[in-house]
Amino acid sequence: MNKLTYFPGCSAHGTSEEFDHTLKLVMKTLDVQMDEIPDWNCCGATSAHVMTENLAFALPLRNLVLAEKLENKTMGIACASCYARMKVTKKEMDEHPELAQRINSTIIEEGEYTGSVDVQSMLQYCYETIGLETIKSKVTKSLAGLKVACYYGCLLTRPKNVTHFDSPEYPMSMDYLMEALGAEAVEFDFKTECCGASFSISNTDVVHSLSGKILEMAKASGAHMIVVACPLCQSNLDMRQPDIAKMLKTKLDIPVMYFTQLMALAFGFPKEELRFPKHIVPVEDALSNIGKIQPAPEKAKKTKKAVEAESEVE
Amino acid sequence: MARVGVFTCFCGANIADFIDVPAVVEEAKKIKEVKISIEYKYMCSDPGQGMIRDAIIQHRLTSVVVAACSPRMHEKTFRKALSDAGMNPYLLEVANIREHSSWVHQKDKKAATEKASDLIRMAVAKSIANEQLHEISVPVTKRALVIGGGIAGIQAALDIADARIPVTLVEKSPSIGGRMAQLDETFPTLDCSQCILTPKMVDVASHPYIELIPYSEVIELDGFVGNYKAKIRKKASYVDFSTCTGCGACTQKCPVKVPNEYNMGIDKRRAIYTPFPQAVPNKPVIDAEHCTMLTKGKCGICAKVCEKGSINYEMKDEIIEREIGAVVVATGYDLWDPKPYEEYGVGRYKDIITSLEFERMVSANGPTGGVPQRPSDGKVPKNVVFIKCIGSRDEAKGIEYCSKICCMYTAKHAILLHHKVHDSHAYIFYMDIRAAGKGYEEFVKRAQVETAATYLRGRVSKIYKKGDKLMVRGEDAQIGQVVEVEADLVVLATAVIPNKDNPDLARLLGVSYDKYGYMSEAHPKLRPVETAKAGIFLAGCTQAPKDIPDTVAQASACAAKVCGLFAGDTMKKDPMISTVNNEYCSGCQNCVKVCPYQAIVTDEVPLGHGSKELRTVAKINEGVCQGCGSCVAICRSTAITLAGFTDPQIINEIVAI
Repeated sequence: MNKLTYFPGCSAHGTSEEFDHTLKLVMKTLDVQMDEIPDWNCCGATSAHVMTENLAFALPLRNLVLAEKLENKTMGIACASCYARMKVTKKEMDEHPELAQRINSTIIEEGEYTGSVDVQSMLQYCYETIGLETIKSKVTKSLAGLKVACYYGCLLTRPKNVTHFDSPEYPMSMDYLMEALGAEAVEFDFKTECCGASFSISNTDVVHSLSGKILEMAKASGAHMIVVACPLCQSNLDMRQPDIAKMLKTKLDIPVMYFTQLMALAFGFPKEELRFPKHIVPVEDALSNIGKIQPAPEKAKKTKKAVEAESEVE
Repeated sequence: MARVGVFTCFCGANIADFIDVPAVVEEAKKIKEVKISIEYKYMCSDPGQGMIRDAIIQHRLTSVVVAACSPRMHEKTFRKALSDAGMNPYLLEVANIREHSSWVHQKDKKAATEKASDLIRMAVAKSIANEQLHEISVPVTKRALVIGGGIAGIQAALDIADARIPVTLVEKSPSIGGRMAQLDETFPTLDCSQCILTPKMVDVASHPYIELIPYSEVIELDGFVGNYKAKIRKKASYVDFSTCTGCGACTQKCPVKVPNEYNMGIDKRRAIYTPFPQAVPNKPVIDAEHCTMLTKGKCGICAKVCEKGSINYEMKDEIIEREIGAVVVATGYDLWDPKPYEEYGVGRYKDIITSLEFERMVSANGPTGGVPQRPSDGKVPKNVVFIKCIGSRDEAKGIEYCSKICCMYTAKHAILLHHKVHDSHAYIFYMDIRAAGKGYEEFVKRAQVETAATYLRGRVSKIYKKGDKLMVRGEDAQIGQVVEVEADLVVLATAVIPNKDNPDLARLLGVSYDKYGYMSEAHPKLRPVETAKAGIFLAGCTQAPKDIPDTVAQASACAAKVCGLFAGDTMKKDPMISTVNNEYCSGCQNCVKVCPYQAIVTDEVPLGHGSKELRTVAKINEGVCQGCGSCVAICRSTAITLAGFTDPQIINEIVAI
C-alpha cells in the first residue's frame, strides 16, 4: 500500500466536496492510504501572498512542517491554488536557508522544517507516481465514446521552474489520463487560459468574459464535457455558466467534471457515489455518450505513421 | 649603469583627471637609474613619440618606460618609436596606469597616484633587466583552407585565389551555395539571390587556384600558423565524379523519397540526388542513410540506368591531407527550432511555418513554384501573420541576442507576398524595427507604404485554431490593446543560431567559442576576423549573425588577412616565447600537459656528454608558442624561461615595491 499525506484545502471540504469524495474513492481503488494532515490551516492563497512575505510563506510552511511529521514521502494537494502556494514556499525555503530559518522561527512551536516532503498536485500524483498503466488496469468500465476537453487552468503546470511538471503552455498529462480511461481527449487550445479565478467574487464580469471564451472553445472543439483538476476553475466554469450563456446569447450546456469523478466512474463506482447533484450544469446527457462508439485510436499510433511517411518507398 | 627614460601620458583626461601626473613624474625622477622623466598629453601621438625618440638619443637611454594605457593598446606603437631611434624595441616596458589605476580608482585620486608611481617603479626595475630580443622568422606554406562553401566561403576563396594563392575549399554538403542558395530575392534591392550567387559558384569550380572538395569535412588540424596540416574526410558519394556527366537519369528513377533539405522538407528528394538544379558540382551523391541498396542490399536501379557506369556501391570514405598556411572558417548558420513556443501550437498546426520555409515557397525554383501555399490544404493564403523575434531576444525560451537579419527579411517577405499574391495582406508583429544599414530603413518603409503591411508593435501571446483559420492574439502596444488577427498562414522569424557543429569544429581547430557556439574573434572591434589562434580567420555567421553584405565584407577581410600573412616567404613572429634549458629539464612533461597551444613536444638528448644513452626533454615549437608562460609556472626545475619575462625581470619588479 502507498501512503500519501493529503492536504485538501478549504474548497475540498466545501465547494468541491465532490472532488474530495471521488478522490478518496479513486485512491482507495489504487491502494493508496491518504493521511490528512491533522490541524492543517489555510494556504494563504489569493490574499496573503500579495500582502506580506512573512504570512505568504508562514502559512504554507506550517502545513509543510506538519506534513513532515506524518513521515510520508509525498504530500498530495487537491486544490491547484494550495498546490501553487505550497510548491512556491517549498522552493523558496529549500533554495534560501536564511529565509527558511527566519520564517520557521515564527512558527517554531510546530517544529523545524527540513524539506523532507515532496509536494505534488493530485493530477501529478496520479500521472507520475501511480502511472497510467496501473490506472488502466483498474478500469472496469471504459469511457469510450466520451469526448472530453481537458482544462488545466493557470497553476497546475506553472511556473515551469517551480512545478517541474508537464508543459506550461500545452500540457497533456490529463489528456493521457483520460485516454487511459477510454475517453477521447479532444484538441483544446484554451487548456491553460485564465478562467478569471478569484475575480469570481470581486469582478464577476471579468470571469464571465474569460470563462466564456474557454466554454465556447471547448464546445467548438467537439467535447461533451470539460474535465478539470482545480476547484476554482470548476466553480467558475460550472456555476457561472448559465450567466455566461445569457451574456453570450448562446446555449452552452457543457458540464464541468473533476478528473477524479471520471476515474471513479471508469473504476466502476455507481453514479450515486459521484455527487452528480452537486453540479449546476447537469452531467447525465454528456455521460450518455459513453459506449456509443469504439475506443478512440491512441495518439502514439499516429506519430508512428507520420514517421513512416517521412521515408516512404514508392 | 642603466639609463632609463620614463614617459608619462595624460591620455587626455583619462589619466590626468584621476592621477596627479606631475607628481608621478617627479616621483619617477627620484629613481637613481632614471635619467629623464617627462609627461605629455598624448604620448602615442607623433609629437609624443618624437619626445621618446629624442630622449633616447640625447640621454643615451638603455631602456624606456611608457606610463600610459594597456600594452594591448599601444605596445607596438611605442616599440616602433624605439626602433626608429635605433634602439632594440624589446627594451620597452609599459606601465599600465590607465586600466590598472585611473579607470579603476576614480574615487580616490591620492591612492591612484601612489599606485601609478608603484607601477612605474616596477616597470623601471624590470626594464633594467630587459634583454635585446629579435623577431623570429617562420616559413610559410602558401595555401589557404576555407571551411564552408556558403557565400562567406565562396567570397573568401575567390578573393584569395584571385591573388594567385592556392585555396582548398571544403564543403560539408554535396554542393556549395549554402543558405544563400535557398533565398529568393535579397534585401534591400530585391535582386535575385540565385542570379548573383550562381555565377560566383561557377567561378569557384573553374578557378585555377581553387581546389573544391565537396561532401567533405575537416577532421584534424595540426601545426601552427603558416604550417598547418589538415586532414579532410571525403564522404563516400557512391558516384564516380570523373565519369558522371550529371545527366540526372539516376535521380529520376530512384524509388526512395526523403524530405528535401534544400526545400526545408516541404517536398521530397530521392536517395540519390543533387541538392538543387544549379548545384556546383552538378553531380549526384547517394544518401547512404536512406538508400535501400546500401541499407538492405535491395534495389540497384541507379546503377542499372547509369549509362556511364558511374555508380559504385562499394565506395568508402577517404581521408586526404593538405598542407596549408592559414584557415578561413565560414560554417554559416542554422535556425532555432521554435518547438518551445507551445502557446502558438508549433508542431500541432501545419500552417505555422518558419521564415526559411516561407522563403522556399516564394522562391521561383521552390516546391510550390513561387506562390505560397498553406501546408494543411494547399490553398493560397490571403492573410499572413509574420511574427518576429521567435527565439531571439527571448531569455525565457530562446537566446538573448538579436538575430540581426529578421527585421529586414520579414519586410522583404511582406513585399514578396504582395508580389506573389496581390490580394493578400501581411501583418507583422514586432518588438522593434532594427533597420540599420544602407538602404534598409527605406526598404522597411517600402514594405509599410507600398505593400501596406500592417506593422503591430507587440508580442503574440497565443495562436489558436478557429475553423480552418489560425487566430493570432497579441498586444498592439501602440494602442494599448489586445488584438486578434485571423490568419491563413503564420510565419515565424526564428532566431539565427550557429551551425550545430561549431563547438566541435572550434575545439578541433583550437579556437575559442562563446556560450552560444559562435567562434570568438580576437578583439570585438579591432580584430574582428582574426581568432586568438594565429592564422585562423572567421567569416560570416560562424562569428555572429549577419546579413549578406556584412558576410561578404568579412570574407574579403579574411582574404586580405590571408594575403597579408602570405606576403613574404617567411613570417615574423614575436620573440617573447619560451625556451628550455636541457641541462635542467628532468623530462617530467608537466609543461606538455599545461600548454594550451600544443606547442611543447618531447625530444631525446644524450644522457651525458658523449653518452649513447638518451633521455627525454621538453622541446618548444617556436612557431606555435604564444608566450603565455604556463610552462614556466609549472616547471619544477626552472628549466623553462620566457623571453621578456625572465626571473631577474620579475624579481626586480617585486623588489621595486
